[in-house]
Amino acid sequence: MAYVEKLDPTDDREALDISSADVGDYIALLKPRVMSLVVFTALASLLLAPGGVNPVVAIVSLIAITIGAGASGSLNMWYDADIDARMARTRTRPVPAGRVKPREALAFGLILSVGSVAILSLTANWLAAALLAFTIFFYAVIYTMWLKRWTPQNIVIGGAAGALPPVIGWAVVTNSIGIESAILFMIIFLWTPPHFWALGLLKAEDYRKAGVPMLPVTAGAAVTARQILLYSVVLLPAGVAPAFIGLASPAYGLVAAGLGAMMIWRAIPIVRAGGNDNTAARRLFGYSLFYLFIVFAALLVDRGLDQLGWFG
Amino acid sequence: MVWLSVTDDKGLENGLRLTEDQQRRRRNRSIAMALALGGLVVIMIAITLVRGPIPLVVPL
Repeated sequence: MAYVEKLDPTDDREALDISSADVGDYIALLKPRVMSLVVFTALASLLLAPGGVNPVVAIVSLIAITIGAGASGSLNMWYDADIDARMARTRTRPVPAGRVKPREALAFGLILSVGSVAILSLTANWLAAALLAFTIFFYAVIYTMWLKRWTPQNIVIGGAAGALPPVIGWAVVTNSIGIESAILFMIIFLWTPPHFWALGLLKAEDYRKAGVPMLPVTAGAAVTARQILLYSVVLLPAGVAPAFIGLASPAYGLVAAGLGAMMIWRAIPIVRAGGNDNTAARRLFGYSLFYLFIVFAALLVDRGLDQLGWFG
Repeated sequence: MVWLSVTDDKGLENGLRLTEDQQRRRRNRSIAMALALGGLVVIMIAITLVRGPIPLVVPL
C-alpha cells in the first residue's frame, strides 16, 4: 500500500533524491569543537555570576546556548559551502562533501536557532534570549555572510560572536550585563585573533585558493606575526583583570599573568621568523586552546576555593 | 518541485529501492529526531515544574 500517491516520474528528479546523511553529519553541522568552547565559557560564567540560579534553569539554559551556537555553525556551513569545498581542511564537511544538501543545513540551522532562543526566553529571561539571538545573527550574517569575505579583520570583529556566551550565561543568572561579563567577553575577544591567525599562517595557501581575505593572505606572514604578538600582549592584562575587579583572587591573577606571559613567549618566535615558522605557529595555536581552557578553569577553581574559605 | 515521496510495503520509493545503508541512515535519523523531540518534552516539563506556568494575562 502506498502511503502517498504521486507522482509523475518526469517530475524534478532532484526532489526524489534520498538523503544519505547520517546522524553524525548533522552533529558535524553543529561544529562540536566550537560548541565545547561555548559550553565551557558559558558554564563558567553561570557559576561565577552572583546570586545563583536553579540548577534546572542553569542546565536547560546551557543546553539552549549550546544549541544556539550549533545552529549558527550549521548556518555558517550552509552559506560557506562554496569556500569549504575549495579548502583541504573543510572540504570533507557534510555540505561540500554532498552528504547534506544545502537546504537541509539551512533548515536545520534555522529551526535550531528559533528553538534555542525560544527555550532560553522561556527558561531564563528575555535579555539572555535576545543576546543569544544576536550572537546567532552576528555569526551567521555579520561574520559569515559579510566580514569573512570582505575584510582581513574578519575574525577580529567576528570574534565577538564567540565571546558572547559568557555574557549570555551571566545574563541568565543576573538578568543584566555587568562589567564582570564584559571582561570575560574581552578575554575571548582578544584571544581570538592570535588563535585564528596562527591557524591562518598554517593554512594561508588554502585561504588564498578559496579567496578568503585572511590577514596572512592580504598583508603577509610578517604583518600577521606582529599582529599576533600585539594581541597576545593586550590579552595578558585582560586575562588578569578579573583579579582587579573582585571576580577572582590575586592568586588567580598570578596564574593568569603566567599563562598570558607564556602566550607572548609563544608568539615571539613567530615574529622572529617573519611568520614563516609553521612549528611555532602550530605551537601557539595549540597553546591558545590550552590558555583559554585553563583561564576559565582557573576562575572556577578560584571561586570554589573562595567558597571553601581558602582566601579568608 | 516534488516534495512528497511514495513508500510502499516492499520498500519501493518512487521506483527507487533504498539500499540497506540508506535505510539504516534513515532509521538513525528518525531515532535521533524522536530522541530530540522527547528531550524537548522533558525540558518543557522540567521548566514548567521549576518556573510554574507563565501568566498569559498580566494584571494592570
